[in-house]
Parts: sequence; structure tokens; C-alpha cells
Amino acid sequence: MTARVLSHRGLPEGLGRPLIGLGLLLALAALGSLLLGAGEVTPARALAVLAGGGDDEARFVVGSLRLPRTLVGAAVGLALGVAGALLQAVSRNPLAEPGLLGVSAGAAFAVALALWLGASAATLRVAVAQLGALAGCLCVLGVARLRGLGNDPVRLVLAGAAFSALLAALTSLLLLFDQRAADEIRFWVIGSLSGRRLEDLLAVLPSLALALTITVLVARPLAALALGERVASGLGHRPGRVRGLVVLAVALLVGAATAIAGPIAFVGLVVPFAARALAGPDIRRTLWLCLPLGPLMVITADIVSRLLVAPSELSLGVLTALCGAPVLVAVVRARRLPTL
Amino acid sequence: MLLSSVDTACRRAETSSEVGVPPGRWRLARGGHSLLIDKRDLVVTLLLLLGLLAASAAYLALGSVTLGPGELLAGLIGGGDPMAVFLVQELRLPRLVAAWLTGAAFAVAGCLMQTLARNRLATPGIIGIDNGATAFAVASVVGLGVSLAPPAMALAGAATAAALTFGLASGGDTRGYRFIVAGIGVGAVFGAVTQLLLARVAIDTANAAYPWTVGTLNARSGQAVTVLAIGLAVGLPLALALARSLNLMRFSDAVASGLGVMLRRRRWQVLSLSVLLTGLAVAVAGPVGLVGLVGPEIARSLASRRGVPILASALAGALVMVLADLAGRLLLAPIELPVGIVTAIVGGPWLLWILLRPAAKSLA
Repeated sequence: MTARVLSHRGLPEGLGRPLIGLGLLLALAALGSLLLGAGEVTPARALAVLAGGGDDEARFVVGSLRLPRTLVGAAVGLALGVAGALLQAVSRNPLAEPGLLGVSAGAAFAVALALWLGASAATLRVAVAQLGALAGCLCVLGVARLRGLGNDPVRLVLAGAAFSALLAALTSLLLLFDQRAADEIRFWVIGSLSGRRLEDLLAVLPSLALALTITVLVARPLAALALGERVASGLGHRPGRVRGLVVLAVALLVGAATAIAGPIAFVGLVVPFAARALAGPDIRRTLWLCLPLGPLMVITADIVSRLLVAPSELSLGVLTALCGAPVLVAVVRARRLPTL
Repeated sequence: MLLSSVDTACRRAETSSEVGVPPGRWRLARGGHSLLIDKRDLVVTLLLLLGLLAASAAYLALGSVTLGPGELLAGLIGGGDPMAVFLVQELRLPRLVAAWLTGAAFAVAGCLMQTLARNRLATPGIIGIDNGATAFAVASVVGLGVSLAPPAMALAGAATAAALTFGLASGGDTRGYRFIVAGIGVGAVFGAVTQLLLARVAIDTANAAYPWTVGTLNARSGQAVTVLAIGLAVGLPLALALARSLNLMRFSDAVASGLGVMLRRRRWQVLSLSVLLTGLAVAVAGPVGLVGLVGPEIARSLASRRGVPILASALAGALVMVLADLAGRLLLAPIELPVGIVTAIVGGPWLLWILLRPAAKSLA
């Protein structure tokens, strides 16, 4: 059994059908994201644009507002979902979520700090956010390893909550200091996809590609690591290096997602949770399913955020918290916390 | 060996004219009644009281206009410079009283909840009760069809959040960290609901409700302060009256009920008291819940280990609140820092420190 799992290459068996189903759902959500909105362009007018006709206003709204927004949402969902799955696998903790553990808060704080020090928001944001995410990741995981908190999933979350609360307070402190920075990132810091452009997406594309390449490389070693460190070393993997690479990938992914959409919690919890429910605990199967599930969740949440309080819009983070917190409670309520 | 020593002790107690008083305590007796007073607790209470007085004096004197000791005294009594009188009596004193009351209420609520859950991290702020109260209070401020006053709404919210957290923490098992994470989840939902409510309303109303989301003493309503004062005047004596049961509830359920604590009833009383104090305090200051962690923690580190330090927690909470608000007013003057941000910056690392200490598993 073990040998078969470990020697497997390519698409794991039995995943074809769920992937096709989720892909269809994702396509449907993307279509909905193009058709529905808080503004005046009705689904019928948007549909006319997709068919090749339509009036100017509808063409502008669909092409320049909703399409970039949908693509950005897909990228953010992909990044956060994969990052959550990786972080949970490496910390062997089903509650390890970038938002809950303070990785997103680290990225947000880094951006606020850079703005306060005089940087301009447009140029540096991605790199700075990724550095902040890396620092946050190392902080929480390092502290957890130091004190053996890794063995206790729930206490790690509490430490992450304390860490995020501290960073959020420091971020708002910086914003209080500096009116210009506050104006520049007030709408970014609450987590939203509204008004994002394709250039934002292009800016993070290289790091996303790099992170996904790393993910492909570490997927097999991670699956071996799930069997224990000795087994992994016996199979020729180096646990330390694998962990380092995973932390790097998580920082790249979360930094990129936070840089374009602001800190968004719970996506990295819900998506791997659903993926595990569909495909079982093997990390490679989980990662495969995270690819359509992450974008699906973020795009759907984004559509709801446009419709719920129309004609104004809601921040995306609010919605992900609304559907993520029940999942958190469900994971904790399970009689035995599954160890990964 | 043991029996014989007990025997000797009994005989000594019989022969001596006085009933044996445990070491470190004083016995006050009058007629048929007697009271044991812990020396260390007495000293700690007095010290905290002195600290609170000193901090309050500093609170009244310092600010954008600094008053000397003489001016401060004159302002308090009512004579002297009308400007100083106005500054002290109209601006700073009401806010100081609000700081006292909210700090004490948060800290006592935290102390009660910690004892109930047998976990020093299980304070109302962490298990989502603050956020529930805030969400409901914001709903009443932004006018969501419900026309109850903010204190009543905050109470309802606190009760709802507490019911949710306890209901979700699998069958009333309040021990362990699982319960706390269920509370974090509940808190996240209510936090999101607050954001949702703020997003639904026009920008000026949202500005009116904004102080609720960070926690500040700057936007309090006099009515809410009065209600809190009444609540504390009722709740604090009740909490003190529960102290004996609370002491025993620190042990296992079997031991506590064996020693005559009616656990079910006492749990309900302690929980309701904690929810009441939290709700009323949130109605005044918004979610400044970390005071509920820091206050009891200071009290515990100072007071004797014999009892649950209700009074010391109240004093320490008030002291922390006064100092935090003073720091918020002074540090970045002329910008005023909301007290919620100050306590988050102090309380976040404090929480981490508690979690990461080697002895973190030990109970309160």
C-alpha cells in the first residue's frame, strides 16, 4: 500500500471525476462572476457582450472590471488554497491556516510599514508583502517548534490569533500615524477584490509560478514526510530541506495573494478541508483538488459580496470569515482531531 | 505516624484557648461569627488600591494641558481656576470613572470565566463574547429595526455568543483548548457580522459605529456608564459571595461536588455574571477584552494562591484600563490612540507569553 502510494506518478487515480465536476462548477462560477454585479449592468446586457455585441457601458464593465476581477479572484483562491494545504501538511496540523496563524497579518503589516517608511504602494507591494509573509511564517512555525506547540493543533491556532491581533493593532497604529498611507491602503487592508486590474495580477504571476513549481517538487517528499521523518529520510528525502522549501512556497503564495487582495482569512482552511473530505488525507490528492476548489470558493464569495448589500459592496474577508468560522468549529468539534 | 500527628494537633487545639488559625491569615471574630483574612491578599489589595489612586491622579493631571498638584486638587474640590475645574470635572473625571468601571468589569468577567473553564486563556474577549456584544450593539446603533438601547443589545449579544460557544464546545465540555477555538470561530463570525452591518449603512452612521469596533473610551454614552455602574454594584458583591464556591470549582468536578458545591447552579450563576459584566462593559467601551486577560493575570501573580482573586482582579483591571487609556492619550499626542489598540499591543504579546511558558498547561 505504502509503496504504491509513494511510487505513484501523475494524476492520482480516482480524481478524474471530482476534478471534472469541480472544473465545471468553477466555469459556472466564473460565468456568474462576469454576468452578475452590484451595478446597473444586468445579466442580459452582460450576456450580449459575451456573445460579441452589447453596448459600450456593458462592454467596459465586463471587459475592464469584471474579467480582471474574476481572474484575480481565481489567482488569489488558488494561492491561498494551495498555501493552506502545504502549511497544514508541513505542520501536521489541520488548523494551520495562513490567515489564522498570522502569515497574512505579517504581510499586511509589512506593506503598512513600507508605506509608512515612504515607499509607494504600487511598486514594492508584492515583494514587501512576501517578505512579511515569510517573517510571519517563520515566527509562528519557529515558535511552535521551539515550544512543541506543533503537537497541539489548537494551541498553535491560539498563538496565531494572538500574533495576528498584535500585528493588526500595530498596522492600525501605523495607519493612525500616517494619513497618506491610510488613504492608500484603507481599502486594501480589509481584503477585497473590487477595483483590481490585470496589471496587479501580472505583477504576482512570476512568484505564483515559482511557488507552484516548488509545490510540484515537494509534493512527493511531503507525502513521504506524512509517514514520519525517519521513513522520509529512509526514502531519500531531506525533511529539513523540504520544510524550508514549503515555508518559502507558502510565503510566496500568501504574500502574492495578500499583495493583490489584502489579508483574507479562512480560505486556506476551508479549501483543504473540503479537498480532504473529497479525496482523503494524501497531500498530493489534496493539492490537486485545491486547484479548482480555491478559485471556486473565492469567486463565489466575491459574487455574493457584490450581491448581498447591493448597490454597495462587502469586503471579501467578511464573507470568507462567515463561511470559514463554522468549518473551524466543525474541525475542532470532531471527536479526535485528525493529525496530518 | 500521620494519625498521631493529627491527634496531637487536635489535642493542642483543644487545650489552647484560641481556635487554630492557619499561617498567613488573621482571624476576625465577633460574637459567634468569624472571618479569616489572608495577610498577603490584604497587602496586595491595598497596594493595588494605592497604585490605582496614583494612576488616577496622573490620569487627571496629565494631558494636552498638564495640571500641577495644587491645580488638580483645586479642580477636584471645585475652587480655583474655572478652566482647571472644567478640565478635571467635566472632561477627565467622567472618562476616568468609565475607565475604572470598564476595567473592573472586564477583569472580573475574565476571572470568573477563567475559573469556570479552568483555563486561564478562556476570557470573554478570546472566546468571542466581546465580539457578540459588539455586533449586537452596532446593530442597535446603525438602527437595524431594533430599537433597544446599546447596553441591552450588548447584553443580548454577549448572551448569544456565550450560548453559541458553550453549545458548540461539544456537550458542555469547557475544559481544554478545543473550547477556546470554538470561541475564536464564534468571535470571527460576529466580527464579520459587525463589518457587514457597518458596510450596509451610510458612511456617517458607520463612522458613528466605528469606535465600537476598536474599543475606545472616547465615544461612551453617559447612560451606558450609569447602567454599568449599577451592574457592577450588583455584580461585584455577587461575585465575591460566590468566591468560596469558585475556590472549590478550581478542583475537579468530583471533588467540588463532594465538598458541597452545587455545580450546575453555580456554573449558571458564574456564567451569567460574567456575561452580564462583559455585555455592560462592551456597551461603554467596545471590545477591549484583553483587559479581561491581563487584569486577572496580574492579580493572580500577586495574590496568594489560596483563593480566586475577584477583588484584586477588579482593581488590577481598573489599573490596567486607566494606564492604557492614559498611554493612548499621551503617547502620540495630539493624535489619540484608542484604548483598544493599546491593550492589543500590550495584551497580544502577553497572551503569547502565557501560551509559550513551559508551565502553560497549569490551571489558574
